[in-house]
Amino acid sequence: MIPRPHCVASGLASLMLLVPLVGQTEPPPGRLLASQCAQCHGTDGRAVGDMERLAGKSAGELWEEMLEMKYSRDTGDIMHRQAKGYTEDQIRLIAQYYAGTSSGGGLDRSEKSGEHDDD
Amino acid sequence: MNTISRRHFLKLIGASTAVAASPTLLNAQTGPARRVVVVGGGFAGATAAKYLRHWGGGGVAVTLVDANPAHVSCILSNLVLNNALSLSQITFNYAALQQKYGVTAVQGQATGISGGKLLLANGQSLSYDRLILAPGIDFDFGKIGVQDPANLLHAWKAGPQTTLLQQQLKAMPAGGKFVLTVPPAPYRCPPGPYERACLVADYLKKNKPGSKVIVLDANPKIIAEERTFTKAFNETHKGYVEYHPGVIVTAVNAGARTIAYSENGQQKTLRAGVLNVLPPQKAGKIAFDAGLVPAGQNWASIDPLSYESTLIPGIHVIGDAQGTGQPKSGHIANAEAKVCADAILRAFAGVAPDPAPTTNSACYSPITANTASWLTAVFAYDPNTLDPVTGKGVMKAVPESFGEAPAATQDNYEKMFDWAGNLFGDTFA
Repeated sequence: MIPRPHCVASGLASLMLLVPLVGQTEPPPGRLLASQCAQCHGTDGRAVGDMERLAGKSAGELWEEMLEMKYSRDTGDIMHRQAKGYTEDQIRLIAQYYAGTSSGGGLDRSEKSGEHDDD
Repeated sequence: MNTISRRHFLKLIGASTAVAASPTLLNAQTGPARRVVVVGGGFAGATAAKYLRHWGGGGVAVTLVDANPAHVSCILSNLVLNNALSLSQITFNYAALQQKYGVTAVQGQATGISGGKLLLANGQSLSYDRLILAPGIDFDFGKIGVQDPANLLHAWKAGPQTTLLQQQLKAMPAGGKFVLTVPPAPYRCPPGPYERACLVADYLKKNKPGSKVIVLDANPKIIAEERTFTKAFNETHKGYVEYHPGVIVTAVNAGARTIAYSENGQQKTLRAGVLNVLPPQKAGKIAFDAGLVPAGQNWASIDPLSYESTLIPGIHVIGDAQGTGQPKSGHIANAEAKVCADAILRAFAGVAPDPAPTTNSACYSPITANTASWLTAVFAYDPNTLDPVTGKGVMKAVPESFGEAPAATQDNYEKMFDWAGNLFGDTFA
């Protein structure tokens, strides 16, 4: 097992607390950060080809995968390198953002806040 | 070689050219839409136009101006040289941005900026609340003594030049010299010249025995993926690549295919079978004309929180033309465009830019016709280190995130098409 500064359970607990109330003018938290995954994982995480689809994935799953790569000593995989570039707070925001996107069509701006499929 | 990844990639290309018209879901708005004009429809400009509408909906009217009806991607364009791809497979028009996102695409040559308007060569002018310039690079032919710039073959802006280089390579007699010059950093696509040397060497090995790639590098050493390309030059393509660092090119006659240069203080000349010169680079002309490049500099100075010019408010510069020191590549241009689009939408809403933006760079480089390497890094805003030119904070690579592939592999070659397919889609479709 890989040593982590946070256990997954406590990370998830803080995920739940971070669900924001999106105002009229502030963009949704995590949107800009999460968009930086889209170069490889598709706009709003709707990837084409064999790339992993992030849209609609649970925040818990994304959080766990990213932390595993962040703290892995294996640097021979491109995502292990990428994961090391983000803080845990940033990873939490990214995970939360993609959990709020649907796996099918586009991101519905009006329904985005508060609907998360954490497991 | 035509595996699943490759098929998906080709499918995406097809999909992007035949988009069904679907009206964009617009936000309910009161008052007139704010206007953004984007100049340049490459990876930076197209992404900015798309995301302004994707995130801003009907609240923002976006016009994308490009001199051409479609963009030819530099990414993957070296694969046209060895006939792995055709130019049409890496050419993207703006139909999807128009139909799916409601961007207004205008084909025209931007000639200047005057009184809050962008002027076009046809006499038209476009008013804006914010202007984004994404003009890419221009070449500095004078610095290397190019006698006939019109004949110079760089193929460093993909398009007709790429086809011309492919044809010259094909026509080169066996035993010939393919001479490739690498400009001083920073230039567009740091690993690109070394990747090109590898692919041409691989092609020569199979098709033109006894030929050689001669790399004349202005830099003191290989500046990207040093381990990967050193191994490729010395082992994988042994005998087919001659690498010369620290070369100063002094004269180029493109028509005669001759080049003069100094190496270790010695003056030398070469006659090439194919002369592929990558000239020194600077920001696209409009950035200079608009007064966005500080005196004595080559790139536009901007604030990395918003990509707004530090010299002229209301004008943003993204992609290869800006001078933050982030690598000049299509992938990171796309990343910068999103930071810029987000900051502009925030500004329209009266909100400050995100105080901690990130960008990232990821790219795959083919080393042979069926293997590739990769290079990647995440960049984070550092408010405590100030840029000496702009006085703003800087984008810094997070050290642990910066790395290259342990080896060039077939698996990476396949993944390269998934990477490119998604990047193309996120930018143009």
